[in-house]
Amino acid sequence: MSTRKISLTALLFILVYILQEAFITQLRIAGGGFSLFLIFALLWAALSSPNMGALTGFTAGFLIDLSQSTAGAFGQWTLVLIIVGFGISYFGLGYENVRLNPFTITFLVTVSVVVARVVYLLLSLLLGEDLGTFSSIATSLLVGLLWSAAVVPIAMPVVARAYDFINDTRSRL
Amino acid sequence: MARGGENRGRLLLIILIITSLFLITLDLRGVSLISGLRTGTQSALSPVQSVGATILTPVRNFFVDVIYLGRTRSEMEQLRTENGELLSQLRERRSIDAQLEQLQGALDLAGKAEFKVLSARVISQGATTSFTQTITIDAGSRNGIKPNMTVINSYGLIGVVKTVYTNSALISLASDPSFRIGVRVAGSQQIGILSGQGTRKGVLQLLDNQSTIKVGDILLARGSVNNQPFVPGVPVGEVTSVDNAAGAVTQTADVRFFANFSSLGIVSVVLAAPDIDPRDSLVPPKPLPTPIPTVTVFVTPSQSPSPNSTGTE
Repeated sequence: MSTRKISLTALLFILVYILQEAFITQLRIAGGGFSLFLIFALLWAALSSPNMGALTGFTAGFLIDLSQSTAGAFGQWTLVLIIVGFGISYFGLGYENVRLNPFTITFLVTVSVVVARVVYLLLSLLLGEDLGTFSSIATSLLVGLLWSAAVVPIAMPVVARAYDFINDTRSRL
Repeated sequence: MARGGENRGRLLLIILIITSLFLITLDLRGVSLISGLRTGTQSALSPVQSVGATILTPVRNFFVDVIYLGRTRSEMEQLRTENGELLSQLRERRSIDAQLEQLQGALDLAGKAEFKVLSARVISQGATTSFTQTITIDAGSRNGIKPNMTVINSYGLIGVVKTVYTNSALISLASDPSFRIGVRVAGSQQIGILSGQGTRKGVLQLLDNQSTIKVGDILLARGSVNNQPFVPGVPVGEVTSVDNAAGAVTQTADVRFFANFSSLGIVSVVLAAPDIDPRDSLVPPKPLPTPIPTVTVFVTPSQSPSPNSTGTE
């Protein structure tokens, strides 16, 4: 991977991270809203190879762990996104059709957002953290699913173009 | 070659997972380097967040206006007659008034209890990546804020300062599932533990099995040693239902927090509290019942009914 690719990817991730932390979190969207950064990272991972997916997950998770609004143990999101980033890129790579179909990739990323949050939840339980009532968790997950399903199709073309520009590839998304 | 690539891939995955587990372990063991990373990030981000808050406030106000369009339709009809410039001024004024009202309410409450407070603007609310309920305010250690200070608004308790950065502070809201506070029932000495449930509703568990509570009872913070994390006497919430399960050791009840955590604009951090417990002086007054107009009709029957006065007109 060239220095150009690494620096451009890092810059893009930091920009989206700042956008999430400084602007999206202040919108007070109904039901807790969505994490644009999480969606962006998973879309990026879905377009990458499994190794790059895991690396993308590591970087994105590390940045989320740095956020002051993240209450869990440092490294928890890193671990979650390594697994989910690897999983989503592995799943996509195995089925070329899945990678190239916008509807399938929307489904894949939306489900991955929920899976990532569920895995985070399970890890929090293992670490003995208080999580609240079942109904509040279920509502949060459901609202997150709906918001992700709405945001992923909008973000996907932008992320795909940025990915193509940085990696000199041409996707058909 | 392909096998070599696969092996390298596996090795990378294992290294990444071990690194993340290493980070979790370091954090759980309380290594200061990890908390320093978060502090550094927040210090770098807080100026950008303040800019974001300034930019997004008009946008947020616009959406609030859209949401409450039905309720303010008649008001909107009147405003339509006014020119655009005045309308724009009104929108800006409404935002400032709401913040002023919140600030005034918080200062009234603090003044009554003789608390020394510092008011701050809410610049961020907890992210969807976390299941906790937090807010970030635009005042930090530079302004004298320290961890474990009580945070209030005009209605009562909001939460506790969790983490302090140079220019901002993270507040754990009372609605957070991990939030626990010792409370007492106003007017009596019954004490209990109130736990957040992730919503505006909390659950109260009385400590004494001889105590009884009823719907409408007001709960106040019991206070902590050296007033940290809780100053005494701050209104917390009102009992909405009581669980009288036969097998329960102590009584439990559902509580509705006075503060509305979804519309926080200005909050006040209690920097210092007097040594005297304000007792029940901060209990919010009961709302006055709305008077229903009544009409009394006196009918005086006529002494000699005429043939024309038999029917009603």
